[in-house]
Amino acid sequence: MRDLSLHLMDIIQNAITAKASKISILICADRESDLLEIAVKDNGIGMESDFLKDVANPFATTRDTRRIGLGIPLFEASANRASGELKVTSKKFVGTEVKANFKLSHIDRLPLGDLGQTMEGIILAWPDIEYDLTLDNKNVRFNFNSTDIKKRLGEVPITQFEVIKWIGEYVNDGVKTIFGGILYEILS
Amino acid sequence: MKVREFAEQLNMEILTGQKGLEKDVMGMYICDLLSWVMSHASKGDAWITVHTHVNIVAVALLVDIPCIIIPEGIVVEEATLNKASEEDIAILRTSKTAYQIAYEAGKLL
Repeated sequence: MRDLSLHLMDIIQNAITAKASKISILICADRESDLLEIAVKDNGIGMESDFLKDVANPFATTRDTRRIGLGIPLFEASANRASGELKVTSKKFVGTEVKANFKLSHIDRLPLGDLGQTMEGIILAWPDIEYDLTLDNKNVRFNFNSTDIKKRLGEVPITQFEVIKWIGEYVNDGVKTIFGGILYEILS
Repeated sequence: MKVREFAEQLNMEILTGQKGLEKDVMGMYICDLLSWVMSHASKGDAWITVHTHVNIVAVALLVDIPCIIIPEGIVVEEATLNKASEEDIAILRTSKTAYQIAYEAGKLL
């Protein structure tokens, strides 16, 4: 995987397969502790604890109830390569949370990628889900919530071309404001 | 072989690093794990990677890599091009795969 936004897309797809109606994404970069954290939390069907144990092993099970493909193992591998780790917590019928962290300054830490485009893509594909995106640099926070946007839009559908384009730009502006000069790939 | 001639012979697009074109290409290295490239590539290697973020320029400088080759027509970020241009590292691009590039480069180098 070339960037973190692609990993994010994968994890969000898992959440959607798990019938989530709300997906919260938190990206936090802390220069002081040299840590980048990404957390995706959903209110989907969750996983049994015996399944959860093997969630990062792509060969663990091949039964058709398996809803996790290579998304988690690859995300974990990317985190490990940047001196970080991945944790999955899940409760049956409550939801799942996937948390990955990375050493911010590690040479193999993948760049964030085009987060705006990722948000555009998932909203277009699954517009009925509530997405809550928070970007945090420990000083300033940015939030995007698709339900708030829908309220403000009134009759206008969130999937309308101009709205989707605006969302992409709005998210990428947020990325620049919060992570500019903190993530090496985002210029301030 | 100079980077300029190397790029021409393999029909690659020169995205940046005009001054870097006069450097010598002596070999080739293919890998996408930057820390691995730092410790295993050799001076003078043309390096093929699918990564396009600014860290590739830092790695090229560190190992004394004269040119970075981006395969399969991948788009390269503006910030990377600017940095490469500042540091005289040539970035070349082609629609070919790493295998095809290496196969052809092997006949030249």
